[in-house]
Amino acid sequence: MHRGGMRLPPRLWMVIGLAAFLCSLPVRAQGNYEIQVYGADTVPPGSTMIELHSNFTALGQRNEIQGVFPTYHQEHETLEITQGINDWFEIGFYVFTSEQAAHGVQWVGDHIRPRVRAPTSWHWPVGVSLSTEIGYQRAVYSLDTWTWEIRPIIDKAIDRWYFAFNPALERTWHGPDVGQGLAFAPAAKVSYDVTKQVSGGIEYYADYGAFAQFDSFHQQQQQFFAVTDLNVSPKWEINFGVGIGVTGSTDHLIVKGILGRHFTWRKSSPVE
Amino acid sequence: MTRREFLQTGVAGVGVLPAECQTRRPDYSLTIEPYALEVFPRRVIRTVAYNSQIPGPLLRFEEGRMVTIHVTNRTGNSEVVHWHGLFLPSDVDGAMEEGTPAIPPEAKARYTFTPQPAGFRWYHTHTFAGRDLNKGQYSGQHGFLWIEPRENPGRYDAEAFLALHDWRGQLLMSDDGSMNPSYDVSTINGRTLGFGEPLRVKQGQRLLIHLLNSSATDCHWIALAGHQFEVIALDGNPITAPCSVPMLSLAPAERVSAVVLLNNPGVWVLGEVRKHIRAAGMGIVIEYAGWGGAPRWYQPEALLWSYQRFESRNPSAPDAESATPVPLVFKSKFNGHGDLDHWTINGKSFPRTETIEIIQGQRYRLQFRNESIDHHPVHLHRHVFELRRIAGRSTRGVFKDTVLVNSNTQVDVEFTASQAGLTLFHCHQQDHMDAGFMMLFRNV
Repeated sequence: MHRGGMRLPPRLWMVIGLAAFLCSLPVRAQGNYEIQVYGADTVPPGSTMIELHSNFTALGQRNEIQGVFPTYHQEHETLEITQGINDWFEIGFYVFTSEQAAHGVQWVGDHIRPRVRAPTSWHWPVGVSLSTEIGYQRAVYSLDTWTWEIRPIIDKAIDRWYFAFNPALERTWHGPDVGQGLAFAPAAKVSYDVTKQVSGGIEYYADYGAFAQFDSFHQQQQQFFAVTDLNVSPKWEINFGVGIGVTGSTDHLIVKGILGRHFTWRKSSPVE
Repeated sequence: MTRREFLQTGVAGVGVLPAECQTRRPDYSLTIEPYALEVFPRRVIRTVAYNSQIPGPLLRFEEGRMVTIHVTNRTGNSEVVHWHGLFLPSDVDGAMEEGTPAIPPEAKARYTFTPQPAGFRWYHTHTFAGRDLNKGQYSGQHGFLWIEPRENPGRYDAEAFLALHDWRGQLLMSDDGSMNPSYDVSTINGRTLGFGEPLRVKQGQRLLIHLLNSSATDCHWIALAGHQFEVIALDGNPITAPCSVPMLSLAPAERVSAVVLLNNPGVWVLGEVRKHIRAAGMGIVIEYAGWGGAPRWYQPEALLWSYQRFESRNPSAPDAESATPVPLVFKSKFNGHGDLDHWTINGKSFPRTETIEIIQGQRYRLQFRNESIDHHPVHLHRHVFELRRIAGRSTRGVFKDTVLVNSNTQVDVEFTASQAGLTLFHCHQQDHMDAGFMMLFRNV
C-alpha cells in the first residue's frame, strides 16, 4: 500500500498535461483561413480550380483583444478560385468568410495571388514556383488590414514520399505590424502514399515574427497538422487535417478540410 | 531482383562467337558512340547513336543470305544490338535475357546470321534505362533494316525510311497518379519540323514510305496533308488487302509501310496529328518539284486507326481450335506518386515471371488481357504472330511482331513455335520493360 502523495500512472499525467495545455489561452489572434502547404504545380491553362477551405477553431482565443473577435469556435469558409493562364502562370482569388455564434456569417476580406513556376522544360530536379499574395481583411478579424506575402515553393515526390517547403515572407502594409518589416512564416509538408488513393502526413505552419529579430517562442505561431489527402481523381482535391498549436500565440486545436474541383474549359479533343 | 540486377548478374559478358564468324569479313560495321544531335538550330541533344547518325545507317540485307555485322561499343555502358523482327537464334537476337552476350564498354562484337523474313525490320539497343531517360531506347540507338524480298509487295517510284522519336524526356506525374516520361522534343529522322532538308518528290510518283516508331514510350499518329496512305505492310509483313487510310498510328516499335500517290502538287507537312506533338517538332516537309512556299497542313479532328481495317477475308492460317491457349494478364503495381509503376504478367514481375515451355512446331494462342489503365505495345521476339481477336471481335490475316493492347481490353494472337531456345516477350515501352513487364518462353 502506498502512502503519502497521490501517484498517478504516467499516461494519465500526460493526458492531464495535454488538457491543461489545450485549455491555456493564446495571447495573439490568428487568421486561419487557408491552411495549405502549396505544391509547385500550377493550374493548367484553360482550366480553373475551385476550392473550399473549411477551418474550425475548436480551441482558440476566447477573448476579444483590441477589437478583434476571438477565434474560439470560429468557422472559416474560404472560397479560392484559381485560373491557369499558361503552363507556368496562374492567378488565384480568395473570398474569406467567418461564422461565429455571436457574430453570424461575416465577410472577412479578399486576396489575390499570382503565381509563376519553373516550366517543366527546364528539367529542374525539384518543382519550384513563386507566389505573391496581396489582400485586405477587416480589422475586426485582423488588426493588420492590408498585407502582402511572397512565397517560394519547393516540392519533390520521391517514390511514396512527398516533400514540400514554403519559406514565406510576409509584410504588413496597414496595421500595427507595419514597422515590423518582413516576417518569416514558413510551412512544410511531408506525406507518404499509403495507397494510390490515400496518403497521410504532417503539415507544419509557423510565424516566427520579424525576419530581422524573431519573436520569443511564446509569441511565435507554431502549428502541426496530421493530414490525409485523398487522390480519388485528377479532377478532385481532398484534404483533411487536425492541427494543434504548440505556443501560447497559436490557436490550440483546429480542424481543417479542403475540397477542390478542377474544371477544364477547353473543348476536349484527341488532337489537342 | 530487378531487370537491372538480372542483367548485371546473369549473362553479361564478352560474346563468344563461332570460329567461322571471327574471320568472316563484315557486311556492315556499327559503332556505338556518344553523339550530339542538332534537332533544330543551336538546339543540341547529347545522346548515343550508331555511326554518328540518327537514325543509324540503313542496313539492306538479302533474305536468306548470311551477313556479318561488326559492332564496336565506344560508350561507358554495356550494350547489345537487337535485330527486331528477324527469326534469329537467341545468342544473336540481341536480348541479354535470352542469352545474347552483352558488349562491354570499349569492346567489339560480331553478329553473324541469316536474315529472314523479308520486309521492313529495325535494329536498336535492348538495355536497361530505369530513371535515366537518356539511355536505352530513349537514346538515338535505332536504325532501319530492310530485308530485300524476292518480290516487292508494292509498286513504287521512290522510297523513304522515316523514324519517329521523342527526346529530352523527364518523369512527370500524370493523370494516372504515377510518374511517366514526358518529352520536350519530337523528331522525324532526328530533325524537327522545318529543320533539315524536305523530302523532295515529283508529281505522279508513287512514294513508298517505311515508317518506324522508335520512341521509347509514346504512340504516334501521322498524317500527310492533302494525301492518303495505301498501307501495304504492317511490321514489315505484307497485308493481303491493302487499303487507303487518312492517317497511320504506330505504337512504340511498330512499323507501317505505305504507298502515297503524289497527285496533289504543293508543299505539305507529314506530321503528328496531335498538335502539341507536332509543335514539339514531329513533322517533315514534303516538297513537290517546282513548288515552294510555306508547307500546308490540314488539321484532322479525330485519331483514326484500327488493325482490323487490314484484315483478310481469305485467311490461310490454321483455325484457332488447334492452338494451345496461353493466358497472359497484365497489371500494374502502384509504387508511389513519385515513382514509376511496377508491372506484372500473371502476377509476377521479371525476372520472377514464369518461363513458359513451348514445343517446336506447335501453335499457341497468346491471350493478352490488359487489366491496367495504360496501353501496352507488346513484342514477341524471333517470331511473327497473327492477330486473332481484338476487344471481342475475331480477325484474320494481320501478321505482326508488336501489337498494341489497349487499356482494359483483350487481344489474342497466334504463333507457331519455330525458334529453339529462349524467346523474350515484353512490353516495348522502355519504362514498362524496365519495371518488370517481361517474360520468357523456352522452346523445348
